[in-house]
Amino acid sequence: MIAALSSEWLKIRTTRTFFWLLTALFALITLIVVAGIATRHKQDISSARDQLDILGIGSLALFIALIMGLVISTGEFRHSTITPTLLATPSRTSVVIAKALAGSFFAVVLVGLAEALVTLELLIVLPAKGVDFALQGGPAARFIGWTLIAAALWGALGSGLGLVIRNQIGAVVACFAWLIIVENLIIAILRTHAIDSRAGRFLPDQATGAIMRTGGHNPDLLSHLGGAFTLGGWVALATFAALVLLSRRDVS
Amino acid sequence: MIAVEDLRKRYGKTQAVDGLSFTVEPGRVVGFLGPNGAGKTTTLRVLLGLVHANSGQATILGKKYSQLEHPFCQVGAVLEASGFHPGRKARNHLRVLARAGHAPEKRVDEVLAKVGLEEAANKRVGGYSLGMRQRLALASALLGDPGVLILDEPANGLDPEGIRWLRDFLRSLAAEGRSVLISSHVLAEVEQTVDEVVIINKGKLVAHSSMEELKRGVEERVRVLSPQTKQLEKKLAEAGFAVSADGNALLVTGASCAQVGELAAKSSLVLHELTPLAAQLEDVFLELTSREPK
Repeated sequence: MIAALSSEWLKIRTTRTFFWLLTALFALITLIVVAGIATRHKQDISSARDQLDILGIGSLALFIALIMGLVISTGEFRHSTITPTLLATPSRTSVVIAKALAGSFFAVVLVGLAEALVTLELLIVLPAKGVDFALQGGPAARFIGWTLIAAALWGALGSGLGLVIRNQIGAVVACFAWLIIVENLIIAILRTHAIDSRAGRFLPDQATGAIMRTGGHNPDLLSHLGGAFTLGGWVALATFAALVLLSRRDVS
Repeated sequence: MIAVEDLRKRYGKTQAVDGLSFTVEPGRVVGFLGPNGAGKTTTLRVLLGLVHANSGQATILGKKYSQLEHPFCQVGAVLEASGFHPGRKARNHLRVLARAGHAPEKRVDEVLAKVGLEEAANKRVGGYSLGMRQRLALASALLGDPGVLILDEPANGLDPEGIRWLRDFLRSLAAEGRSVLISSHVLAEVEQTVDEVVIINKGKLVAHSSMEELKRGVEERVRVLSPQTKQLEKKLAEAGFAVSADGNALLVTGASCAQVGELAAKSSLVLHELTPLAAQLEDVFLELTSREPK
């Protein structure tokens, strides 16, 4: 398992996809943070709460982590590298788990770097605007901690879904269609038909929202821990489906 | 040892492998032959645990591939020349496999040198020619320094220079005492390399014999050109060889070049051409694979 994991991590580091995604993400984050601070009044960015919202921009990296998780798995089928992968690691369980762990680890590194970048930009841009940095202490650390947990789960979710869907473009389109359209549609249907107006809390994106929530009690969201367990359940489901399908399918 | 026992695999309505059985003894180089669609690739993929058989067994060294202790270091395989990420450098491709397969990373440079890719090791595989990809695939198979090699049509798409290189390379692997199972749909590609052949058609075994046995069924033929055609023809006929005309030349059946040359020398006849014709072995192969399997 350690050999398979080490190999997966080396795979991520030895193609340019990782660096292009990282560069694009950092450029986008910098643009949003700098433009956001530059266009807001001083009083709108002075409180710890306001600055925590800006720190939340770093969580954009979650989407890149999901894409990278998908790429880790679908790339094997796109480039037919699944054959040498399974020759070197014949245990399909090991391959699935190694990919999930590599996706998680990559996501944590990526989101950690993104949050560090936003913090650095706040430290540089806020004083230039005459505003004190107000994010010392617990709330920011807790937010980053929960965001890293969400990142780990999204990376693993991406790699699991990638092994299930296999087609790279199809997998990316399906995931974003789910996040942008399908999940919201399900929540709307649940509310409209009053089946259970709060059942939507258990959907993946809502569970992620619960993990990273910064405000007080919100009846439409689970607790931090509840969100983490729920999203963990989705990851377990995707990983199990990946394991069953990869074990049963022929690689030809 | 490689053992295939009553192996069957069906894809939808197509019976790709149909009760196939054969064994490959240690240290032998065996050609696994058959026309396109005969079931060669499916059989090799079942052997390597990539495809699930419907019934029967395929084992290497007495175990299924996935049950071997260090499969990557015991069995090397080349299944296709397309299993590379185009954006990854060749050296990194091999490092990835070495890590996963428990092969020492120092082997990466050794196998790159062995297949003649040292200078292109830091190029991305997307820029490789088909021949270079085949060499890289062979390097991947050799990473774990395995005693058994399974190669699926390694000459596919190679130019004549590449085919010659591959033939020499396979000979060197055989000389190192490795067991090699090499599939091909062209007998001529492997006939100079293999000790024996397993020939299949429509998923069934049609022949399993040594090259000597296969060649025994083939009469030697020689094309000979002489300015004294009539005298030469007479001498050859007197010696008991079957002779027929081939344009200005003669086709001599059942004689070797040495026999025809010696006969001409004894009779003081001038020769302008003396060519052995190897095409008949291919004819035997085509005849075997065109038969309806039992």
